[in-house]
Amino acid sequence: MSQIADPASVPLPPPDAEVKDICCEYCPVACGYKVYIWPAGVSGGRSADENAFGIDFPAPALSGRWPSQNMHTVIERNGVQANVIVIPDGDSQVVNIGGTHSVRGGALAQKLYRATGPTSDRYKTPLLKVRGQHLPISWEMAIDLMAELSQHTIDTYGELAWGMKIYSYQFYENVFAASKLALGEIGTPNYSPHHAPAEGDDVPGLSDVGIDAFGPAFADDKEADVLFIAGSDPYETKTVRFTTWQQPGGAKIIYVDPRKTFTAAYAENHGGLHLQLTPGTDTALYSAIAREIIDQGWEDAEFVRDHIASRSELDQEGKWRRVQFGQSFDEYRQYLFSQSDFTLDGAERATGVPAAKIQQAAQMMTGAGAERPKTMLLFEKGVYWSHNYENTAAIGSLGALLGAVGRPGRGTARMGGHQRGGQKAAGYPLDKSPHSFEGHPVEMDTERWLAEGNTRFRWVVGTNWLGAMGATQALRKRVAELTSMGPEVDSTDPATVLAQLKARIDAGGLVIAHQEIYPNESTPSADIILAAGGWGEDTYARNNAERRLRIYEKIMDPPGDALPDWKIFSMVAQRMGFEGFDWEDTNEIFEEAAPKSSGSRRDFAALVEKAQADGMRGHDLLKTFGTQGLQTPLRLENGELVETVRLHENLQFKTDSGRANFVLADWDAVKERNEILGPTGDEVWVINGRINALWNNLFDHARRQIATERWPSNFLEVNPEDAAAWGVESGDLLSIESDNVLDQLGNKTTGSFTAAAYVSDIVPPGVTFTYFLYPGSPANSVTSADTSLQPLNLRYNFKLGKGRITKIGTTDLKDTMSFAPRNLAPAGPEG
Amino acid sequence: MPLTRREFLFLGGATGAVLAIGVIVPIGIASRETGSEGSAAALVGVFPPVKVASLAELQEGVPVIFDYPQVGQSNILVKMGEPVIGGVGPDEDIVAFSRLCTHMGCAIPQYQHDHKILGPCPCHYSTFDLIHGGQVTLGQATQNLPQLLLDATDDGDIYATGVFRLVYGFDNTLQGGELVEA
Repeated sequence: MSQIADPASVPLPPPDAEVKDICCEYCPVACGYKVYIWPAGVSGGRSADENAFGIDFPAPALSGRWPSQNMHTVIERNGVQANVIVIPDGDSQVVNIGGTHSVRGGALAQKLYRATGPTSDRYKTPLLKVRGQHLPISWEMAIDLMAELSQHTIDTYGELAWGMKIYSYQFYENVFAASKLALGEIGTPNYSPHHAPAEGDDVPGLSDVGIDAFGPAFADDKEADVLFIAGSDPYETKTVRFTTWQQPGGAKIIYVDPRKTFTAAYAENHGGLHLQLTPGTDTALYSAIAREIIDQGWEDAEFVRDHIASRSELDQEGKWRRVQFGQSFDEYRQYLFSQSDFTLDGAERATGVPAAKIQQAAQMMTGAGAERPKTMLLFEKGVYWSHNYENTAAIGSLGALLGAVGRPGRGTARMGGHQRGGQKAAGYPLDKSPHSFEGHPVEMDTERWLAEGNTRFRWVVGTNWLGAMGATQALRKRVAELTSMGPEVDSTDPATVLAQLKARIDAGGLVIAHQEIYPNESTPSADIILAAGGWGEDTYARNNAERRLRIYEKIMDPPGDALPDWKIFSMVAQRMGFEGFDWEDTNEIFEEAAPKSSGSRRDFAALVEKAQADGMRGHDLLKTFGTQGLQTPLRLENGELVETVRLHENLQFKTDSGRANFVLADWDAVKERNEILGPTGDEVWVINGRINALWNNLFDHARRQIATERWPSNFLEVNPEDAAAWGVESGDLLSIESDNVLDQLGNKTTGSFTAAAYVSDIVPPGVTFTYFLYPGSPANSVTSADTSLQPLNLRYNFKLGKGRITKIGTTDLKDTMSFAPRNLAPAGPEG
Repeated sequence: MPLTRREFLFLGGATGAVLAIGVIVPIGIASRETGSEGSAAALVGVFPPVKVASLAELQEGVPVIFDYPQVGQSNILVKMGEPVIGGVGPDEDIVAFSRLCTHMGCAIPQYQHDHKILGPCPCHYSTFDLIHGGQVTLGQATQNLPQLLLDATDDGDIYATGVFRLVYGFDNTLQGGELVEA
């Protein structure tokens, strides 16, 4: 023997370790976690009475109390080294029952700041770009610049020239503070979320049906007999919802996705279906299922009779879209039967899904005249980011046809992309938007507005926006032009800097401030960097995808001089002379936000009302509910808080009449858009999305070894048939390029990126798949950004990328990276 | 091209940022001394060499199951049929890993030789790539599978001589239970 290994170990928290409640940072399931903090160099013992977990070690399987090496780290807190374990809450009775978790949340400890190691490159001070280099400046100077440049922009060019590009999903307190300044005080319509060029509803078709996007509880997934899941892989991206709520319930899964993912394979192995459609065709698929259901008389006739609006009721609706596109049952039926692509055979031709499977789906979802099963329809970005209005209308209408709403095991909803903290302080000033559809104002396409040169000052908060928007390379080029107008900043003297940046604004250029925790692919474009804090660096609150409101307790301060987001908004607002921003802490913001949430699915006004009645702080009352939290909307009955497990239980809908309706899903419009956006010539589909081990732009995961070992490179899944035709093997370096991309102004442009081939039957021939935001691999360069293609609701067709694939070399990735199949599901009951 | 043995050793050692794990030193240097500063490891233990298989009895793709170094720490040893990271034997193709899923500790019974994959785990479906150091191909485990350090003797015996990474359920790979008998 020539080598030995040290034994691996983790310290156990002693019984007196400090304990915090927090939830995962990442997906919308938001598993509950416990944080144990105690002095470094100390370890509890292996007996139950010697450690904070209260169990004997070794821990048994499924204990929910085993800290893996990635659940532990050592931080500096208050100048002292401290052990930290961030571990799923093994006592949890909700969400992640028994302490189960995903690979993303399970390694949350590795996200904490440490002065050495992978998280050491956090922004720690504000920075100013001087001759192209970011140099540290004081907060005083940074806030002065922010306020002066903002005021100059607004005074000279109006509030539409001042923009904010910001996370929509962050904690209530931060979103509220930002929106109070941008929407409330400044009142600009130049405000858009991280994932879209415009504010507005992500699922307008579903909303126009009258159904809330987050109505059901996770328990409904378990209660259901049939889960119809489209455009979202729950195992990969909402893991614990699948492993705790969907799989154990035993529902048959009908899975709609161009890719045969793990969930697709699981569905097929367990009595379900995989409807493997051609990208962009789901409108026809849902409509064909609906047509078959009506043709066979399998719809929920009682629900349709009692809860679907008539034409005369629709005509009295206050929302123009519902008047124009809403349909009575007769109108819906008439439209479905007028389209040849909605027959079983027509739909097979249009979508690529065999007619027999479409028919089988209709049978499974309805019981085919026998006892009606409890059916849930769940969907996410694979749907509403391929098209937006038509397919969300089609799946929403299908849900209404089945009466799949408001009852245990029956619902129609989004799966969610991220958690829900979007409580704004003020409404969006739609009347100021320069964009409209047939005379109706729609939320501003802020990227088009910027590319046109109308935005002079943009405050970016917590997003790699240049990578996250469509036609990203064209946008990057345009931003480089706009930020290089006028004089270059060549001084650190505050007055000189201010004069130079004002001169750029006056020359028609763009000044960018970027509030971030780490450098990303967009921060080099910023003139001012505002060093921010994040998860675990202050106390916050947020909802998950079943409207469960929980506390996220502070673990440590942000590094260096970095400040929590709310504090930065407050400082700039106060420096601009606005009142009402002098909060002492996040609880004050939470309490101020509470009444603004009234009437919404987020409504936590009752929580704060009760806290105040009991002489408590809102956050402190929420803390008493630990990782279980409370499902909103909340109300008070006899002084006690009452939760809402699911919405629409009274079968009242979000319409003026209280009745739901069907919505026109204009297949001709979709086909026309597919013609423009789809692959041409030797191009193939280049669709994109999330994968299990990574989160968003890898702001954490690029700094986490478990993730970077697995994914040292971006990848492009290629079907073996295509791989053979192209002479490609796993690990080869590919060029993905399209010269048929539409930029923010609707002009044809090019886009390209590189990625390593991952040859797998997970994708069919003619379809490839890549990660959507891998650093250095701009997948959105081959997705178009022309919102005039869907003018009802200004959204990008992120999922309809395309490109020509060329092998440009080989890599040594095969030596270190697994290229094994990622869709190996267990065999079903029959083996 | 397979990794060199030296590269494998680096991979084995490179896990948690502050944990002294998988550090390989020549046996002549090794001693019972404290781990690196800031380390959670209290003592550098010495793994007992334990014979776990013999070349003559191994068949390609047919797993051998055994506990090491403690009772209950169940492992799988496989002759992969191609040179792999950390592989021993004349073909450098024999590897062994813990088969306790590093997600929540379920024993993974299924080895799929056509893909060189352990899994999917019956509990939450993690799969692990045995030709890439126990990497999580897909799944929820927050550590790659612990890989065993093996040694093949001239007599054709295969010994387990160490484990990289923490084994599910334990706070120390060598402590908390009963060592298997050599």
